[in-house]
Amino acid sequence: MSLEEPTPEVGVTEEGLDYDALEDLLGETVRDRETHVNAEGFVIGPDDVQDVLYTLRDEAGFDHLSLVTAQEYEDRYESIYHLKKYDDPTQELSVIVPTPRDDPVSQSAAPVYRTADWHEREAYDLVGIEYEGHPDLRRILLPRTWQGHPLSKDYDQDKPQIVPLEAHKNPIADDHRDSESDTMFLNIGPHHPATHGVLHLKTTLDGETVVDVDPDIGYLHRCEEQMCQEGTYRHQIMPYPDRWDYISSGLLNEWAYARAIEDMAEIEVPEYAQVIRTMGAELSRIASHTIAVATYALDVVGDFTATFMYAIKDREVVQNILEDLTGQRLMFNYLRVGGVAWDLPEPREEFFEKIRDFLDGLPQSLEDYHNLLTANEIFQMRTIDTGTLDPEAAKQIGATGPVARGSGIDYDIRRDDPYGYYDELDWDVVTEDGCDNFSRVLVRLREVEESARIIEQCVDLLEDWPEDERDIQANVPRTLKPDADKEVYRAVEGAKGELGIYMRSDGTDKPARFKIRSPCFSNLQTLPEMSEGEYIADLIASLGSLDIVLGEVDR
Amino acid sequence: MTAVPGVLLPEMISDLIGLGEFGVVGELIAGLIGATLIGSFVLLNAAVAGPWAKRKITAAFTDRISVNRVGPAGLGTIVVDSLRLLSKELIIPENVDRPAWDLAPILVPLSALLGFAVIPLHPGIQVADPEIGLVYVFAVSSLASLGLVTGGYASNNKYSLLGGLRALAQNLAYEIPLVVTGASVVIFVGSLQITEIIAVQHETLINVGGVRIPQWFAFVNPFAFVLFLAANMAEVGRNPFDTPEAPTEIVAGYQTEYGSVYFVLYYLGEFLHIFLGGAIIATLFLGGWHGPVLPGIVWFTIKIWAVFLLTQWARSAVPRVRIDQLIEIGWKGLLELSFANLVLTAIIVGVIS
Repeated sequence: MSLEEPTPEVGVTEEGLDYDALEDLLGETVRDRETHVNAEGFVIGPDDVQDVLYTLRDEAGFDHLSLVTAQEYEDRYESIYHLKKYDDPTQELSVIVPTPRDDPVSQSAAPVYRTADWHEREAYDLVGIEYEGHPDLRRILLPRTWQGHPLSKDYDQDKPQIVPLEAHKNPIADDHRDSESDTMFLNIGPHHPATHGVLHLKTTLDGETVVDVDPDIGYLHRCEEQMCQEGTYRHQIMPYPDRWDYISSGLLNEWAYARAIEDMAEIEVPEYAQVIRTMGAELSRIASHTIAVATYALDVVGDFTATFMYAIKDREVVQNILEDLTGQRLMFNYLRVGGVAWDLPEPREEFFEKIRDFLDGLPQSLEDYHNLLTANEIFQMRTIDTGTLDPEAAKQIGATGPVARGSGIDYDIRRDDPYGYYDELDWDVVTEDGCDNFSRVLVRLREVEESARIIEQCVDLLEDWPEDERDIQANVPRTLKPDADKEVYRAVEGAKGELGIYMRSDGTDKPARFKIRSPCFSNLQTLPEMSEGEYIADLIASLGSLDIVLGEVDR
Repeated sequence: MTAVPGVLLPEMISDLIGLGEFGVVGELIAGLIGATLIGSFVLLNAAVAGPWAKRKITAAFTDRISVNRVGPAGLGTIVVDSLRLLSKELIIPENVDRPAWDLAPILVPLSALLGFAVIPLHPGIQVADPEIGLVYVFAVSSLASLGLVTGGYASNNKYSLLGGLRALAQNLAYEIPLVVTGASVVIFVGSLQITEIIAVQHETLINVGGVRIPQWFAFVNPFAFVLFLAANMAEVGRNPFDTPEAPTEIVAGYQTEYGSVYFVLYYLGEFLHIFLGGAIIATLFLGGWHGPVLPGIVWFTIKIWAVFLLTQWARSAVPRVRIDQLIEIGWKGLLELSFANLVLTAIIVGVIS
């Protein structure tokens, strides 16, 4: 710890960010100012990216590059760097980098924020902007033989993709195989019991030690962003979020979209609906965390572990409650723009009773998990001090959610950038300082307790809610058409971390650009940091502790 | 069948059907029949354990029901599953190293079956009773390592290679504590002959209010018993020592590329080894076939199934250790403890006698 007084961050005032001060800090480089719903945007030149971001990071304290959005306009390409602070995510700033259509080259932000590495690869892959100085600019979601950039305007989607891998191979490239080498290349996945989906890890091993690991993603890419761009704001987008993180985090995902569109279209959600949302979202979080712990037990304990079935059994109860509430077990589609689809199921007492029964049994279940996992000496031997992710690296790579909180980063959007009914309730953000696999498991188990606290308070509130004030939806127009060029980036605390949505309106009833900030995408990027130099078993354990869902990584 | 001391199964058979007059040929035939009978008994245990009991036990640990569709309590699954597995296509991957690839799965169950040759299931029900019985059991059962590493190497698969190497490293690390702990029993008995070891355990340790406590080595030297149990768990590759297979890490290791009959053979081999491990434990520490009221063979079966149950219990509840931790526990923990146990036993036995 430094003994120096921390220098005050530029632009921080009592009322919030002073964007003029920030503009003065950057001086000449700011060419223009834009106003987005969530923050101001500074337009800068493509050659100033690193200078500007270094200044903003080191002098103005923007240590969190939340998202990089790339998009194509009629006359230009644009990369937007959505900056935040881990200490206070309400202090936001967008850095907008337009590049000409005939020469879409812009400076890379990867040296400033390591998380930009993957984000810019995705921008290059889907939109076609090239980033100068990027350490490794290659496609990330699509196969490397793919022709064209699907989200760019001149992309011909009817053109068959016929280039096979053989034809794509560089004939004069060196053969990296070396018969004298001591290392072994191992493909872990795309079909492997521990990759939790179709993930491919290109691993180089020296004996049992991992020398290098390179996650290869995109096997589950379903063009979710494009599909959302094809749907109308009012009803057609809401079903998609359920399919991103499909491990029962549906309501949390839906809330991400709901929050973004409600801010964009200035819709005030009735309090009653917010309480129902909060309760449902926390139920989703419990379901998601129990399955995370369950599969982690599979990875570390072995595939006959009793923990898995116990956790699945607990999750089943949550699923039943959510089914009563939403009518669905997984793809809920329960939130609506401006509220929720319908009121609590009748008879209400029975529904509350069911939730209370579950909450009463939860402490016992959690104790069982602690007995089976965290209190077990072999489990501690396996997880403590393995998969270490120090807080600095975690912030650089943009880790959020339980992964960040397991590294001691006190960052939770529910508290720091409140939405829903969270700021009215009494609960705590869980952090652990271990920075290892063990801490991440502990964080999830303790977060289940906190979620239970929230649900209990919500149930109390809902039970006493006066019957004539039960507004479940705001008065939302049949067709939503936000003003043209309105842009918003809003995030919620999903089960896996900061789940954000960027939307740009072009005045029609469909978004012109829909970008998803997936927490799993950034969290997965920490895997090499955690597992290089460790054993292959720890690589598997670290991967499990990230709790990624490939549906959300690949979108 | 009445037990005559010193008469073994082949002789009994020979006397029973009059093979004695055919000389060496007769002895050979009688030996074959005896071996077949004992082999069938052991295989029957494995057949019940593999497709049925294992599932039922795991299900009981995890609050499930498990197989219950065919036959009473799902017992018909044993037949159905055997047929299903045997009727599957045998896929032979490209560039596997044959015939090593074909021999490996045969070697694993074979080594376990050979081990049962000297284990008495019941007084007299024993194929052979050589003076070096215990050494023979350890020797043939460790042949399995050869099968594992051959299969891992010949499969032309990196996961299999890792699994084969892990299996070898593990068996090397745990074979020695196993044998050394076994030797501490030999010091007590003063003989390597299996029947002798069992006979000694039948003697009285103490009388507690008229109840005779036999001199089982689990009671005489519980420390050695626990050591042996732990080393045996590693030897049969079950949690917390199932690192060579580790399906979630290296996708079942050495058996990744084996399907159909070869898979059955590997699997069978594993179960036979668990039962052989149980048989050795029963023989060395639990008084072999001895027990009150029930006949010897029933007691023997109960004892080996108890060890099987223990492995399944560990599987459901105990996490798997990492390969380096496993080697460390073996070489730095169990080996030292087993030598300490051996030396202490030697001193105590020397002082007493």
